[in-house]
Amino acid sequence: MLVSYRWLQDYVDIPWEPEELAERLTMAGLEVEGITPLAPALDRVYVGLVTDARQHPRADNLKVCSVDLGDLGVYTIVCGAPNVREGQKVAAALEGAVLPGGVEIKSTEIRGVQSEGMICSQAELGISDDHSGIWVLPEHLAPGQLLVEAVGLDDVILDVSVYANRPDCMSVIGIAREIAALTGGELRLPSLDYQELDTPITERTSVIVEDKERCPRYTAALLDGVRIGESPLWMQLRLWAAGMRPINNVVDITNYVMLETGQPLHAFDYHKLAEGRLVIRTARQGEEIVTLDGERRTLGSDMLVICDAHTPKCVAGIMGGEDSEVTDQTETILLESANFSPVNIRRTSRALGLSSESSSRFEKGIDPNGAILASKRALHLLQTLAGARIYSGHIDIDASSQKDTVVELELSEVERLLGVPVPRAAVCRILRSLEFGVEELSQELLRVTVPSYRGDVELAADLVEEVVRIWGLENLPSTLPPDRASSGGQSEQLAMIGRVREALVGAGLQEALSYSFGRPDSNRRLRRGEEFMLRLQNPISEDLAVMRISLLPGLLEAVSLNASRQQTRVALFEVGAVYLGEPPLAEQPTEELRLGVALWGRRNDPNWALGDEEFDFYDLKGILEMLLPWSELEWSKGQDPSFHPGRQMSLNYQGQEVGVFGEIHPQVLRSYKIPGRVYAAELRIAEVLPLFKKIPEFRALPRFPAVDRDLAVVVDADQPVGEMLEALEDLAGELLQEVAVFDVYAGKPIPEGRKSVAFAFRFQGERTLTDEEINAIMDRCREGLRQRFGAELR
Amino acid sequence: MLNKVEEIRKSALQACGQAGSVRELEEARVRFLGKKGELTLLLRSTGQLPAEERPRFGKLVNQLRDELETAWEQREQQLFLEEEERRLAAEALDVTLPGRPAVRGGVHPITRIIEETKAIFMNMSYEIVEGPEVELDYYNFEALNIPPDHPARDMQDTFFFNEQLLLRSQTSPVQIRVMENRQPPLRILAPGKVYRADSDITHSPMFHQIEGLVVDRGITFADLKGTLQLFARRMFGPDTKIRLRPSYFPFTEPSAEVDVSCIMCAGKGCRVCKDSGWLEILGSGMVDPRVLQGVGYDPREVSGFAFGMGVERIAMLKYGVNDIRLFFENDVRFLKQLGRQGGLVC
Repeated sequence: MLVSYRWLQDYVDIPWEPEELAERLTMAGLEVEGITPLAPALDRVYVGLVTDARQHPRADNLKVCSVDLGDLGVYTIVCGAPNVREGQKVAAALEGAVLPGGVEIKSTEIRGVQSEGMICSQAELGISDDHSGIWVLPEHLAPGQLLVEAVGLDDVILDVSVYANRPDCMSVIGIAREIAALTGGELRLPSLDYQELDTPITERTSVIVEDKERCPRYTAALLDGVRIGESPLWMQLRLWAAGMRPINNVVDITNYVMLETGQPLHAFDYHKLAEGRLVIRTARQGEEIVTLDGERRTLGSDMLVICDAHTPKCVAGIMGGEDSEVTDQTETILLESANFSPVNIRRTSRALGLSSESSSRFEKGIDPNGAILASKRALHLLQTLAGARIYSGHIDIDASSQKDTVVELELSEVERLLGVPVPRAAVCRILRSLEFGVEELSQELLRVTVPSYRGDVELAADLVEEVVRIWGLENLPSTLPPDRASSGGQSEQLAMIGRVREALVGAGLQEALSYSFGRPDSNRRLRRGEEFMLRLQNPISEDLAVMRISLLPGLLEAVSLNASRQQTRVALFEVGAVYLGEPPLAEQPTEELRLGVALWGRRNDPNWALGDEEFDFYDLKGILEMLLPWSELEWSKGQDPSFHPGRQMSLNYQGQEVGVFGEIHPQVLRSYKIPGRVYAAELRIAEVLPLFKKIPEFRALPRFPAVDRDLAVVVDADQPVGEMLEALEDLAGELLQEVAVFDVYAGKPIPEGRKSVAFAFRFQGERTLTDEEINAIMDRCREGLRQRFGAELR
Repeated sequence: MLNKVEEIRKSALQACGQAGSVRELEEARVRFLGKKGELTLLLRSTGQLPAEERPRFGKLVNQLRDELETAWEQREQQLFLEEEERRLAAEALDVTLPGRPAVRGGVHPITRIIEETKAIFMNMSYEIVEGPEVELDYYNFEALNIPPDHPARDMQDTFFFNEQLLLRSQTSPVQIRVMENRQPPLRILAPGKVYRADSDITHSPMFHQIEGLVVDRGITFADLKGTLQLFARRMFGPDTKIRLRPSYFPFTEPSAEVDVSCIMCAGKGCRVCKDSGWLEILGSGMVDPRVLQGVGYDPREVSGFAFGMGVERIAMLKYGVNDIRLFFENDVRFLKQLGRQGGLVC
């Protein structure tokens, strides 16, 4: 809400400069987000009287004006505006004035005539966007005055952010009331006085409210003899300041009173209403209305409309219709001041995609009791400023069940919630300053009557908030709660995930975070079959429309992005949930924690001491062997369609697949536009975490010397070495400390289709081993490999 | 013969002194002290002497052997050290060349902030809890005192799957789930992903929040202030000040926004804090009695405070990141910049 500092001063004395006021309001819960001057400084811009405006001798579109600036003298100014006339009061900028946008005024010759300044439009002065002609000032202004002072432009605008629970502060009076509470000063309400005709309104019009749920209160006033014209300058400036455009005196007054009181008003041209009466009902499905913005809108059956005897004339609380709007010809006006259900306004506004200053107030819920007050205020202004003759009385159809909210407040409750006592006198003073009724039932107990416009206050805690925000949160001490809770900490799983992260970081991987939602065709891009994915009803884009069921797409997108940005090494991991649901999605999906890894490009960043090899399958496998309790897992050849058919492995635990890793299928890489090869893994990490907890077993360190032996054999090229290793561990028996593969070789002189594999053994026992016993073990190993894998000695 | 001894002594000591390397020295040793060396030969010639002279001669030769062996030892030591010195001089490395990298990655900056925050609160006996991201409308809104058509729903553009299921727009539903299942005293911290339909340089459709909740007998607004003061000092530095501003959240009453003194300018005013000296970092308040009642607690018996903060916002302030979308793009240059300091993760 944009509010003028001077306007606030109409209702309350403000002892503070705008900056301090902003600070005080912010600290009381009305955050001031900005302070801007209403107009630029505008030095050397004065009120001038055009004493003469004659045709420029050498230009058809220019006039040469004599402008009387009182004590400053008379200046000659050439002006091109079509509306300049003799006798006008105008804004004259003299040499040296700097207008918004940095335009500096100079005395210059224009087609042979010396022009000593400029007559300005509102747009040129930065007051509005009106550049249709020069700004014609009110007649009563004295020539020679500084313009800023003469018309009250020396004002500042506060941008006040009003929380959703405080619609009462969507008004100048509402904010002034808060200021009065902060200063302890008096709130001065504006005049509501006007003269009524003898004829009662009920003789001329009628109102029927068919839907009292959606329209709890409807009041109408009738006035005629209205002289449509411009509203006074002060009112126009305040509307501009609040971000609204002046239209004519009647519309301006309804807007002005809405800003002033928070109660939206609407003025109908009475003669354009069929049978001169109103019916408030829900629209018929498909009924149409052309709203004031010129749009034709189709209405639904739950939308409330204000109709004449036949058709909708206004979308209730949101926007009027074009065919009953007030125009220059309007003489008789039916003035609405009503209350509509916030829910209905909100839904209708959303459904139509239409919001207004009015709807933004109604949808927060405003006080039905304010309707008559605002109407009377508008009638006062309409009579004073537009000569309205007002029929006596209001039509007032009031179905609002306004009962006073009364809350009992124990003073101990204030201390219990705040942690510090607030003196009874201060509590009472603060509540009364906010116009709460306070009855002191005892030393300890207050009975508080809540003003009707404070629908947000229902409980003692709400009153405590009122007290503390005015009393000042800075007065609260800082204490710590007594520590009676459990010892705190985090679950084993969370702690272990932290250690998984650290292990992967230690292995040179960067942690990535991808969106939990992605493209609906992610499965197809991964060469996988159709699987159910949760679909958002309102995604921000089709690329972020379904919940992920795999971490791979996010990681592949990250690789793709980095590849396109000329990175040479990408090593990423991500820990996060996938969302596994079942149609028709009656329940929450399972959120399964996964670990994903992706390697792409060079194994090392460029370095003189290292090679420039690319990552390969065994880099990935090495990382997983480092991370996982490998001996607890079973493996099998993987069959995941997203991976290279010959370069993938599936990891299992107790017969359940817990993960798959390998080289990503080239077709998948093409759909992600990734050059080269990607090695990736996806693990159901929560399933694996318990395996980390296996307690390691101590074996006494051997004190006798070890015996090392090598064995090289030739087997078929497609023989998995892992199977041979497992066999050797069995064959070698108790004395084997470890066996490692130290060479794998294919090519000459090894025959085509075969490969050489070399193993290194270390034996050790609780005694000195003899050559004979080791030889026997090695013979057993050789023979075993020969029988089971067709291995020949190399 | 005695002259001979003196002759050998002179020439041996000379040869020893002149040997320029360990190898030359060894050659000279063999020449004088070896099995066929001059001294050995001399000793063998003892037989040619008269018997009475033999002991004296033998003694002289042995003395000479001892002397020469000592000389050789000393010379050898000297030569070894000289040679080592030359070798070391020749072995000088270009120590300015970069080291062979011990590769190390880094955690995501968001993880860092979450872990730092968790550590601070775990030190205050908070328990870390989690909740589902795909939530029921009831937990995300209704139980938090946000009924259907409440204007507060507009404040958060929520992603929906259907009438009942949505992506949580805040971590606050975790409060309700914990309170429904447990009795006070409670002291919990709930970090996690949240979602809102908004995307620009300060809004991401997915981001992270950390929610805190304390419920017990006698928990006060002053306790909230003290707790957040402590947090701010540990997170942003010991001189950090905080400021509470009244605010509105449907599930707390009273409510307050919490500002910290600007970490860029220490409160003097700069571009980051828009010259206010303050940065808004979290929302907080006393748990609304309606919320306590809704989970079956007696609001006259127990009270509580809750607070919630945006992790990305804190990360942006702390690291000076100007576009929230960078956090989810996974550009490795970005991740490397913020992933770690020195060799330590977090």
